Order: sequence, then C-alpha cells, then structure tokens
Amino acid sequence: MELPLLIRAREDGEQFVLTPFNGNDARPADACLIPGRLPTPGEQYRFHLDMTQCIGCKCCVVACNEQNGNPAEIQWRRVGEIEGGIYPDTLRHYLSMGCNHCLEPTCMTGCPVNAYTKDPLTGIVLHSAERCIGCQYCTWNCSYGVPQYNPERGVVGKCDMCYGRLTDGREPACVAACPEEAIRIEIVDIAAWRQDYVSQANAPGLPSADDSISTTRITLRDALPEDLGRVDVARVEPQHPHWTLVFMTVFTQLSVGAIASIALLQAGAHLTTPHFVVAGIVVTAFLALAASTLHLGRPIYAFRALSGWRRSWLSREVLFFSLFSAAAVLYALLLWTGSALSEAPGIAASCLGFAGVYASARLYKVAARPAWNSRHTILEFGLSAALSGTLAAALFLPAARSLLAQAAACSAMALAIQQLAKVIALRSSREFERRAAGDLLLHRFRWAVLLRHASLWALALTLTARHLPTPVLGGCLIFAIAIELLNRWLFFVSVVPKSMAAPYLSERRAA
Amino acid sequence: MNLRRFLGIDIARERYAFAQDPAVGYISAQKTADRWVKTTCGYCSVGCGMLLGVRDGKVVTSQGDPDHPVNQGKLCPKGLAEHYVLEAENRARHPMLREGAGFRPVSWSDALRRMATEFRRVADKHGPGAIGVISTGQLVTEEFYTLGKLVQLGLGTSNYDGNTTLCMSTAVSGYKRSFGSDGPPGAYEDLTSADVILLIGANIAENHPILCQHLERNRAKTLIVADPRVTKTAMMADLYLPVRPRSDLALVNAIAHVLIRDGLIDRDYIDRHTSGFEDLRRFVARYTPEFACGITGLSPELIERVAHLYGKAQAGFVGWTMGVNHSSKGTDTVTAINNLALLTGNVGRVGGSPFSITGQCNAMGTRESGFTSSLPGYRKFENAADREELAEIWKIPAERIPARRGLAYPDIVDAVLKKEIRALWIIATNPLVSFPNIDVLKQALGELQFLVVQDCFHPTPTTELADLVLPAATWGEKEGTYTNSERRVSKVNVGSPPPGEALSDFEIFLRIAQEIGCCDELFPGWQSPRDAFEEWKSVSKGRLCDYSGMSWEMIEESGGVQWPFPEETGSSPTSARRLYTDGEFETADGKALFCCAEWEPFPEQPSPEFPFVLNTGRTVEHWHTRTKTGVVPILEKMAPRAWLEMNPVDAKTLALRPHDRVDVISRRGTVHGIELRVTEVIAPGQVFVPFHFAEWNINDVTQDMFDPISREPNYKQCAVRVEKSPAGLPQ
Repeated sequence: MELPLLIRAREDGEQFVLTPFNGNDARPADACLIPGRLPTPGEQYRFHLDMTQCIGCKCCVVACNEQNGNPAEIQWRRVGEIEGGIYPDTLRHYLSMGCNHCLEPTCMTGCPVNAYTKDPLTGIVLHSAERCIGCQYCTWNCSYGVPQYNPERGVVGKCDMCYGRLTDGREPACVAACPEEAIRIEIVDIAAWRQDYVSQANAPGLPSADDSISTTRITLRDALPEDLGRVDVARVEPQHPHWTLVFMTVFTQLSVGAIASIALLQAGAHLTTPHFVVAGIVVTAFLALAASTLHLGRPIYAFRALSGWRRSWLSREVLFFSLFSAAAVLYALLLWTGSALSEAPGIAASCLGFAGVYASARLYKVAARPAWNSRHTILEFGLSAALSGTLAAALFLPAARSLLAQAAACSAMALAIQQLAKVIALRSSREFERRAAGDLLLHRFRWAVLLRHASLWALALTLTARHLPTPVLGGCLIFAIAIELLNRWLFFVSVVPKSMAAPYLSERRAA
Repeated sequence: MNLRRFLGIDIARERYAFAQDPAVGYISAQKTADRWVKTTCGYCSVGCGMLLGVRDGKVVTSQGDPDHPVNQGKLCPKGLAEHYVLEAENRARHPMLREGAGFRPVSWSDALRRMATEFRRVADKHGPGAIGVISTGQLVTEEFYTLGKLVQLGLGTSNYDGNTTLCMSTAVSGYKRSFGSDGPPGAYEDLTSADVILLIGANIAENHPILCQHLERNRAKTLIVADPRVTKTAMMADLYLPVRPRSDLALVNAIAHVLIRDGLIDRDYIDRHTSGFEDLRRFVARYTPEFACGITGLSPELIERVAHLYGKAQAGFVGWTMGVNHSSKGTDTVTAINNLALLTGNVGRVGGSPFSITGQCNAMGTRESGFTSSLPGYRKFENAADREELAEIWKIPAERIPARRGLAYPDIVDAVLKKEIRALWIIATNPLVSFPNIDVLKQALGELQFLVVQDCFHPTPTTELADLVLPAATWGEKEGTYTNSERRVSKVNVGSPPPGEALSDFEIFLRIAQEIGCCDELFPGWQSPRDAFEEWKSVSKGRLCDYSGMSWEMIEESGGVQWPFPEETGSSPTSARRLYTDGEFETADGKALFCCAEWEPFPEQPSPEFPFVLNTGRTVEHWHTRTKTGVVPILEKMAPRAWLEMNPVDAKTLALRPHDRVDVISRRGTVHGIELRVTEVIAPGQVFVPFHFAEWNINDVTQDMFDPISREPNYKQCAVRVEKSPAGLPQ
C-alpha cells in the first residue's frame, strides 16, 4: 500500500511519524482491532465501543493511565454505568469512553490559544501541552468531560487515541488491554457519518452527539429497558467556584458600567467627574483582569489568549477588555490633563467595555453547560454592570446622583426578577442538567438565592429614597458588590455540566 | 509550588515525557524498562502470565504476557496496577516487637529467638498442640511445602490450617467425597469447547474477568448463570436463573431428577465408573421441578429447560465459586454438582467438567503440597501406607507423621478462645477483616500468650494485634511456582528485592527451622526454593498431582504446565490435560461416588427484627481485605468505599434515598455508615455489601456458622436489618 507519510513536528519537539501499516505485521490477532490502513481523504479514525461486550472491568482505565503516566486523579478513559429494568430482568451497561475525536470539536473551537488541532490525516483531536495556558475553557466546552486539567502541570491533557502507538501499528492502550475486545479503532467516512451519526453515536447515559458530532460508534443491545439510564443522577455535586473569575467578572463589569455612566453623562449632560475617579476605576479594571490570570495554570503566557480571536469567545473577551483598558487609560489621562478631547475615548471605552462584557457572558454560553447556555447569562452580566457601575458613578457625580440611583434601583429590581425567572426556567426544564442546576439553587443553595433576592429588593428600596447621603450611597455600592459576588459564586457552583454517565459512587472520599 | 511552576514555565515536562520502549513501543517515559521479568500474577487463581518491566532495580510496569495460554496478554485492572503494591508506604520493613501499646524494631536474630523461646515455653507447658498456625493461599508452592514440614514435623503441631478454608476447602471436600481426591478435573479450554456452561454462584465477570475471554471465544455456547443477584455475569447469560439465596442445592438435585427421569444420563458411564446410582435415583425422586420450584423460586419449566440443555449437551461444563463454597451446605452442594457431571459422563472430557474456580493465586499450591487438610501430594493422614511412603522420602520415622488432621481454621480460633491454643502464628492473611463474626476472633486473639504475624504489610488490622511482626517479601520479590484453577503450574520470579530487612517467606521458614534446631533434618542443605521444588517433585511423583516431569525452566518456557506431568509422559508440556479421562477415580474401588445431599434452609432465616438476607461479595477493583489493592491509588479511586445494594421496593418502605448512609445490624454486630445503592440488581428482601473494606467491615455482621465437613463459613446468608445512620456520625 502506497500512502504518503505524514511527518509533523510539534512545537514541543515531539515528532509524529505516521508510517503505513505493514502488510506482514507479526501481530495478526491485533489486525481486527485497528484498521489495516490509513484513512484516505474524507475519512478519519474513530473508536467503536461494543457495549454488549463491555463487562465494566476498567482494564482500559488502568491501561490508559499506565500508558500516559497519569496520576490516579486524572483518567483520560473513564467507565460509566447505566442501569435499567426490574429484578430479575435488570440490565446494567458500561460506557468506556476516551475522547470522541469529534467532527466539530468544541474543545478546539473554544480554545483561545490554538492548543488543539484536528490531525488532517487521522482526524484525531490532538492537544499541545506546550501551547496550552491552562485556562480550562475546553473542560467547560466538552459535553463529555474529556479534557482534564492537571494541576501538577498547569495544563490540560486528553486522550489522543494513543497516536504514538498507532503510528507504530499498535492498538491504543485501552484497546490492547480490553479482555472482551469491546473497544476497537475503525475508519469512518466523514460525510456519511454527518448524515447518520444520530443513531450510532448516541446512547443512554451520553450527552447528545449533536453538540460536537462525536465520532465514537456505540453498539447497543437490540432490546433495552425503557428506563435504562445513568446511575449517578442522585449525587449532583456543586462545581468549583473559580474565585478569581468571580472577582474578575464582577469588577470588570463594575468598571465598564462606571466608565460608561461617566462617559455618557459627560457627553450628554456635560458633567465632569473628578479625574482621580476614572483613574481609580481603571486601576480596578486592571486588578480584575490581573486577578483573572491567576485562574490560568500558566499565567505568564496569558498574552497568548489573544491568538484565538477568530473563533474563541474567550479570546474575544480578552481582546475587548484589553482594548477597553487601553481606551480607559487614555480617557483617564485626557481627563487628568483637562483635555477637551476626552469625550471620544470615553465613549470608545464604554463601547469596548460592553463588547467585553458581552464576550464575557457569551463565553459561558456553551452547550456543555446548559444552565449557563441561556440569555440569562448575558442579561445577568449586563445588569450587573448597570447596577454596580451606576452606583459607583453616583458616588462621585452629585449632580446626577438621583438619576443614577434611580437607574441602579431599576437594575436591582430587574436582577431580582431575572433571578426568579431563571430559577423557574431551570427548574421546569426538561433537560436533566438544567433541572439539576435548578435543584441546587432551590435546595442546597436556597439560603444564598433567598439572601440575594431579598438583598436586591432592599437595595432597590433604599435607592429610591429621596435623599441619599454619600455614606449611605457608599454603603449601597459595597452592598451591591457583595450581592453580585455572591451571585457570581452561585453562577459557578450551581452549574451542572453535561458529562458521560459516571459510576454510582463518587470518586471523592466521603467528607 | 515553586515560582517556575506558578508562572507556568515549568509544566513537569520530564515526568510527562514519552519514550520509545523496544518491547512495548511508545509509552510514558516513566514506564520504559531496561529488562523484563516473566512471572505470574499474585492476585486470583486464574493465573495470568505477566511481564514485569524493571528499571534501575524497580518494577515500573506490569503487563500481560502475550504468549501465556491463560490470558494471552490481558490482565484485569488489579494485575495491570500490581507493581504499585511493591512500593507501598506501609510495607513491613523490619521485624517489630510489641512494646507497650506500640512496636519497636528488632533484629532478625532477636525476633526469631524470641519467637522460638515463646513457642517452646508454650509447648513445654501445654504440649506442641498448643501452638497454632494459620497460613494462606498467597505463598509459592515451594514455601507451602517447606512450611508444612516445618509446622508438622518441626514445631510438632497439627493445628495448622490456611485461609483457604475461608474460600476453597468446600471444593476440596466435595471433590474428595465424589472422586476420592481433590483436584479440579477440567481445563480453561473447556470454557471454549463446551456447548452448555452452567455457572452457579460464580460472578466471573467481576472476580475472574480474564476467564471471560475464554467464554467469549465460544460463540456457540449456551451460558446459564444461577445467582440470587443479577451480577455482571448474570447479565452476560443466555439464561439467567434468579435463585433464592442458598437454594442452589435444591436446583442441582432437581436437575439430577429431570436428567434421570427423562433418560438424559450416560448409563454406560454410570455403570462402569460410578457407584451409588440407585441410592441417588431414589433420593432425588422427591426433587421434582415442582418441589424445587417452591425452594428456588424458579418455575418448573425453567428447571426442566436447564436440565434438558445440560443433559443434551455434547459437553456440559459446570463452574462454581463462592456462592456455593461460602455455605454451611457447601460440601453437599459440590457433591451434588459432581453428581450432574457423573450422570452425564461430563468428567475428564473436552468441554465437560465440574469445575471449581479457585480464589487465591496459589490456593491450589497449598492444597497439593501443604500439610494442612491432607498430607503433601493429596495423601491421606489416615492411610498408613501414605504416611510410610512420606517417611521414607523424608528419612524420618513414620510415627512422626500425624495420623489425623489437626484443627481447621475456625476450630483453631475456637481452641484459642478455650485457651487450648496459647501461641499463634499467622502468615500472609488478615483475619481481622476476613473472618466471620470478627468480635469472637478479636476476643480469641486477646487470650493468646504470643501472636506472631508474618506479612508483607504493617500495619494491617491483624499485625496491629501482634506481639511480633515478621516482615515478608511479597509477589514480585520472590521465586517459586503458583498453581492456578486448571492445575497449571506457573513460574513466579523476582522483579525487585524486598524493602528494608524483609525476607522471602522461604528464607524466614529456614531461619526459624535453624532457630528451633530442625533445619538440618528437615531441609538438609537447602539454599533456595528450588531445593524445595526438587523435593516436592519427588513427593508428588506417582500421585494425582504429579510434578515429576517438570522443571522450573520448562514451566517458565511453556507458560505453565498442567499437572499431572509425570517424568515418562508422552504429552507435550503445553497441551491441555484433564483428570479422570479414563474414568478411573482416586477412590478405593476406582469408582466415583454419587452422594445424596439434602437441601436445607440457610441457618439464620430473616425475622421481623432482622428482615433482610445479607449477601457479601467482591468488586473487580479490589482483592480480599484490600491490604494490596488499598495501596494502589487508581484502584482506590475507582472503588473508594463500600456500598449496600437494596431493591427500590425496600428502600421505599424504609424511606431511604440513594447515597444515604445506612447501618447494617445483625445479632452479632453493626456496620455504620455504608453508602446506600438503590438498585434492581438485588431482589427485594435481600441486601449486598462487598467484603473488602476494613472501614465498613461487613464481617462484623456475618455469621460464624461453618460447613460441618469443609469448615468453611456461611458468609453468603445471614439475617440483618438496615437503618438510616444517625446524622453527625463520622462517615
């Protein structure tokens, strides 16, 4: 077989040389577990899981970790459980999944630094640890929870179908380890798969293959109990709070809202703000953005996040906020010097800032996190900017105090109504992950939801008072920031990500 | 965290680098080896061939041996991660002597002198029978052989048994009763060639997953699984028999009834090779399918269908494991299973075998060469000729060889409690987790004058109670042979040296022999386990378990050799061998015996106070009392804690919800805070808890009721109640 060799050097110095399979290979038994040839144009490799064969022994999980040298906390291949039926006609199946090497990999489209590539020859979705900055955005984007962050390295890692073994003509470690020959590598015709993946890539316990067009083919039994489904639904756990992002989003929104209020009043009513105020807001924005780099596994490479602006909302967020900061600095400088030209940069900063807030909200709108994937996220972020921004501006613009306070009161009421609508929408959704997020808000975090709700109304009521002395207004601002920090924390902890079915027992040791 | 890592300059490149290994190809650079050691897995008795990758004297990887006939390159998750056991933090490194509430390290000579002194003191005052020894199924055969001689002839006590009594002694007793000797007659190959496979109380998909590939190769089979719980194996079955707990004997007798009634028996085979058929025929007459239906809960039609499938099979295979063995009617059930094989002539035939799937890696080795329930080489204590034969080989007076078996494991515990045994030596087992109704055992051990625990780990729940801890090497650190379920003798080799001052069990036994002054007599000139192997070969010669044609080198080269393999054999070491192919059995008249075994309900029936039947068992990630697998991070991650399975109907009645913490209470004790799993895998009225977890030790609850013949505990059924754990309990 004459096929071109693919030689591809990666920036981390690893070189993959994909050699054609040798016809007289000394491992005839393996021949059927991996294809005997390379994909041709229009084809790619994929996994096939025969669920009727899998006995849930988890050999593949251990073999994967041994192959890739991963610690026990990180499992690039995982085995989940689904169960259904009534005793004695009970059925339990196991889902052994690595990466699905999707046709439209959401990890890749979201990545702000182009750390992901879809190998042109094999279709394998590859991840470069060298390029990765550890933003973990891919871990939010993948419906299957495939990319996993490794805190020891500060970067993400994932299944690469054992590319290095495949190039040697060996089966991936999971395939080689399976005593039941339940996992295989096949060649898939990409165009045909786009047409008919729905019936073959979906299975009970798996998120919809629509999100990214998973290429893994799954063989199910012919007759399955109707209630066959995931066994981990009764143990929804709160997610990581991402404190740096809580602060970053709340304070960037405050800065944008404040700059916009000030710039608008300057343009519309020719009100001038004391120059130190704008400088202070700029410093706040810088601190918030600086804090967000601490979210990264590799903060020193934060600047790389700009490189994916063509497709990644995360890149766009970074881009817009960077431009916003630059414009705001200029605005502050011009105000400081008393220049008459300060109006234009103020308006520009406001526009760029709101573009940043929009991008910021937009990046959370991912299919893999249904509770975030709604207009509420954009509304919430925008209203938050309006509330805290107008309050901050009101503090230093006595002439417009009452107008700004009214605006803030409206924002607070809008946020309270929005919160109520969001919880109701989540709770009444037909989608498990939304409903589960609603349940977290209604039960586990009920105290926080009620506290914020009551606080928003109290704040609105206070702000409608006829006379607002500066200390009271200052108190209101601090109170509003606290409310929004609480809400943003709720935003992060209460999301229930899509994922493949997990085992019944959580891995974490009981606390 | 250093600054370079904090900033993201350092991403642990070296630790996560890959490299090309000449043998296994592209792999994590941590796992490349500079040499490979062939060995056999040290977990269960499937006996998988392994390759240990060793780098700089350390075992860095364990891989399946692609050339081994048992596993053909595959390993279960325990085997794939077995090398982590060697580097566990809690490996026993130095002999430790009790000092107050703690221990202090002592030298080997001090430790062994102390042990000999204490044992001598007990023997002088109470007689040598006041010394008890409880061993294991984990040592190599060479060590079992050495230990047997050391205990019975050196220490002079017969009160010696292995933890195999908690596991396989029922199969041993059943085989002895039916066929005149221990020894599973079949081969794994039978799983591939049988057309009907009946598994009773055997969850091989969970417990012996590597056997499944032999099953899978057999596309034409009908797989029938009898188990009260819908196990992974039950879900693989073509026909699943959801029997009520411990009704297996009634099912098996009813199958025999239908086979005889419908003429599905091999009359010629029965006439020529068995005795007791008429008794059996009369006996099973009352086990009509209708009668058995009332006991098993299976419809008469289903029972008839199973009997017809088995009776009409070209080759019918019956396999069983702990569902049958862990029972106070176990021996009877095994003989009843053997009856089915004898009725249909499915013994010693390709594909046809009554096959006990063994537990521990070398339970078979101690059955053959140990000196516990029989004399080495399946000789009988009661047989004077057997004793004389051994005395001649050993060059000792025949009177020194005991004429009857000493106490079995539970009876040793009982004797300790009655202060008849005053000193105890426990080797490579952890009874504080594995013995039923542990309270009694704990009380017993507290009565001892001196307790020696020899183990590769310290502390374990058992070593913590010891007066003296002897640190031993473990699998991967010593040389010898294991015998698997199909009587395949496989080689075990050294990958890395034991940690600290730990010694191989063989070396410890020789040093103890020297200390008590019997080394020159019992083990003249012995240097290595090979000397034990050579003597064992001569002891096994002419016996059913004949090793005399084997050598260590041949065993290693062939991927194990099935016994019998006598010197003058015509067959190749690699060919599959079966027992009783000529219909000649090990009984006095050469005929197998039909035994009549009456079904009885299990001893502790549920009551209003204790309404549930508790079943115990395993999960694929863990091994026995978790001393080994509990130190392997990936296995702990995948199976972090115990759980209790309960049917949704019962959970609803008790107002329990998934993941609630529950207490399990029996007449003997309570286990607190087990995580509830509400599942249709278990029938209403029954609950299941895995037995691996010392932290949720279900053997605090199980019943100390034993089979009258094999002395195996009735682990699988006892009456319990389940309650929601009080809030605020440490979970």
